[in-house]
Amino acid sequence: MLSAILAIGGLGLFAGIGLAVASKVFYVYVDPKIVAVEEALPGANCGGCGFPGCSGAAEAIAMGKADPTICVGGGPDTHAAVAAILGIEVKEVEPEIARPGCYYGPQEADLKYVYDGLNDCRAAMLLNGGAKLCPVGCLGLGSCVKACPFGALSMGDDGLPVVNASLCTGCGTCERVCPKHIITLTSNSRRVTQEYTLDQCSAPCQRTCPAGIDIPAYIDAAGRGDYLEAVRIIKEKNPFPLVCGRICVHPCENECRRNLLDEPVAINPIKRFVADYEMKSGSRIPIEKAPATGKRVAVIGGGAEGLTTAFFLARLGHEPTVVEGKSHLGGLLRTIIPDARLPKDVLDWEIQGILEAGVTAQTNKKLGRDVSIQGLLDDGYDAVFVATGGWDSQMTDGLPTQPVQALPGVQLLVNLTFAHMAGNAPAVGGDAMIVGGGNASIDAALLLKELGAQHVHVVFRSPREEAPFKDEEIQAAEAQGVIFHFRSAITRMFGKGAELTHVEVASLENYVPGETLQQLHAKAALQQIPVQTLITGAGRFPELIYAPVYELRGEGDQQEAVRTDRWETVVPYAGPFAEEDVGIFRPGEATSDYKAVVEAIGAGRRGAISVHKRLLGEEVVAPPGMIRRTTTVLNVDRLEPLSPQPREKMPALSPAEQLANPKAEVELGFTEEQVRREAQRCLRCGLICYRRTVQEPESLAKSA
Amino acid sequence: MSEYWLLIVSAVFVNNIVLARYLGNCPFLGVSTRMDTATGMGMAVIFVTTLATAITWFVRKSLLEPMGLEYLQTIAFILVIATLVQLVEMFLQKSIPALYRALGIFLPLITTNCAVLGTAVLAVENEDFNFMEGLVFAFASGVGFSLALVLLTGIRERCAVAPIPKHLQGMPVGLATAGLLALAFLGFIGMVH
Repeated sequence: MLSAILAIGGLGLFAGIGLAVASKVFYVYVDPKIVAVEEALPGANCGGCGFPGCSGAAEAIAMGKADPTICVGGGPDTHAAVAAILGIEVKEVEPEIARPGCYYGPQEADLKYVYDGLNDCRAAMLLNGGAKLCPVGCLGLGSCVKACPFGALSMGDDGLPVVNASLCTGCGTCERVCPKHIITLTSNSRRVTQEYTLDQCSAPCQRTCPAGIDIPAYIDAAGRGDYLEAVRIIKEKNPFPLVCGRICVHPCENECRRNLLDEPVAINPIKRFVADYEMKSGSRIPIEKAPATGKRVAVIGGGAEGLTTAFFLARLGHEPTVVEGKSHLGGLLRTIIPDARLPKDVLDWEIQGILEAGVTAQTNKKLGRDVSIQGLLDDGYDAVFVATGGWDSQMTDGLPTQPVQALPGVQLLVNLTFAHMAGNAPAVGGDAMIVGGGNASIDAALLLKELGAQHVHVVFRSPREEAPFKDEEIQAAEAQGVIFHFRSAITRMFGKGAELTHVEVASLENYVPGETLQQLHAKAALQQIPVQTLITGAGRFPELIYAPVYELRGEGDQQEAVRTDRWETVVPYAGPFAEEDVGIFRPGEATSDYKAVVEAIGAGRRGAISVHKRLLGEEVVAPPGMIRRTTTVLNVDRLEPLSPQPREKMPALSPAEQLANPKAEVELGFTEEQVRREAQRCLRCGLICYRRTVQEPESLAKSA
Repeated sequence: MSEYWLLIVSAVFVNNIVLARYLGNCPFLGVSTRMDTATGMGMAVIFVTTLATAITWFVRKSLLEPMGLEYLQTIAFILVIATLVQLVEMFLQKSIPALYRALGIFLPLITTNCAVLGTAVLAVENEDFNFMEGLVFAFASGVGFSLALVLLTGIRERCAVAPIPKHLQGMPVGLATAGLLALAFLGFIGMVH
């Protein structure tokens, strides 16, 4: 007994002393700066910086390999303390906060089985993806709560995590722990650039919204009486709530799940009420913006799309300037929507709000007349976004028969033929290309030959058999030197100064819809064809980003990117509703097809995100897993019995009143009681969950 | 010399520490998703098993056996191996920083690993082994562990991109693969007597 205690005790003592001695003998000198930085860091070892714990981060920061701001857990105070130790300046970073994205706890959601295992989401996940029928639902076992190094998370009574916003530092530990990716970091930039994906919960209405507004969230906020929060949610996707609240074609309401029961929720009138509430309050809600990047972007076109693009570029920290040809901003909203549907003072208030968010506007500056792409790039703009809008041709815009050269080397086919008929068609030098010309392609190609073009290329999206010509006609044209590219698309244009130099043409032979340009590139080589004149059969120019080309000069450490006078076009990524998403001059046009203002707004936001990605040097593609219209999304096709509740009626002027005052707005907007009642009709849908108990609308007196 | 080769083949293939003796399943499944971590882990295991066996040999032969305290072997071995790993970590950090960074976090991970302890116990308790044979056996066992780990990782890396039914993705298919791998290694039985 004694010998056993002595033997093991002695062994332990020996080992302990050995280690103590070794720690002296093998002492490694550590830079005191690293120690100081490590002490200034929170010591939570959350790993949010991407380094193995705070000591790893401290070493990287002290060695200058990482910025002091990489510590997401510590916040600005820590950044300042770390920067002070190193004697460097600290850059501002955008605050982030965790937000759970599941709204129905395990008690309310449909289950596949009853889970009775290890109390950890990651363990539950191994069993057929968790107990919930919904593949993206919160498992409710609180792995995120246990993982949070700052105690900012707790489990609510409904079995869903609750974030204490004042304690959350945005370190992202919960995001990394959650096996379902329910809880994610959100910042202004992330929310503004979001697209709905398959691994997140989304309701049918918000997936259908061309602008992508988080509809259930804003209706929920309106139902609680938090109208300004509702406006804030809407403005993360749409800077025009007053306009859309009045004239939107609301495809969301067609998909509203209440259609299975009675009538859709009056989504759009609720939007109008909260937007009017903001306007009537006389002050605007503050618009969250990312730290300034110092990048300047010119947006051509001051219509709904251009203003939206500029608004979101401002929110992403850039400096947008809208260049508008007319004397007023607003585009078609101002010119074709009657006062009875959209009063001008409402539109003015909305546009003023966009300008106050950090957008500069220059009016009476027409592209091709007063400004040019080359001129803007020469002025130092880091990108030019073209959102010239839905005109059918430049001629309808009251221009003379001599077409204005708006985009370098690009002409509308209708303008060319119009000018030819008037007898003042310009001479075409160099090589020409026609895209989307349809039946007129061959005639136009021969016309271009006549005008002096050396080589004429014709690009068709359809295969040769489906082209709108007899084979003999094609052969005859080929005999005259016209070069056909069937089943192809133009993917980029390149130029130098004011000249178009060549275009990139991709074969769509093996193209699968949804693929990116890069994926297509891996399959088929992209051809670079010298072209100086590009004729498009479409009635308008597509959305395009003109960006300067940088060249690497110098060698080794002195290597730097130098801006040249060459440029290339970048195509904004196509939204969820695009038929095909490769190439420009495609059916339905680049990112929008301009059936409604809300589509232009969606396209404008995607344009802004595309410009943002280009300026950051990222690939301009849709977020991975973005839900497209061809994607199959889990849904329900019937509702459990719920009591029908009729939709609120929109108060409106009587026909007699309309006749008496034709300029007066016809629809008067919901009253506050109507909004509260209507908001309670919302089922707060998720993928397959929805509110199954009817809630009595809270009386206004109680909440006031 | 030939008995050493026999010993090595036996420990690596026939009586593989993971696939035949079912020791060290935790790192075997846990660290087998990426090849670079798997090789790092494998190297660390080879290193520590060999060293641990050398030390525990003396602990048993010159401390426990003379005092008749063989029943305290497990406790004593854990104590010794844990100390040893700590010591090695300090030594490496000071003397061979490159190796320290390569083995890095794997060293503390395998401090109390059953593959390490098991190898030491198997080597020390085998009356037929002399010191050198025990050492070679321990080294070969470590190599066997690394081989199994690298093989499984290779398969699991391919599984990660293969169209596997959703319910089998991740750990389920990993376990099935490990089982099939063990079955395949059964084929080596009878090679060495």
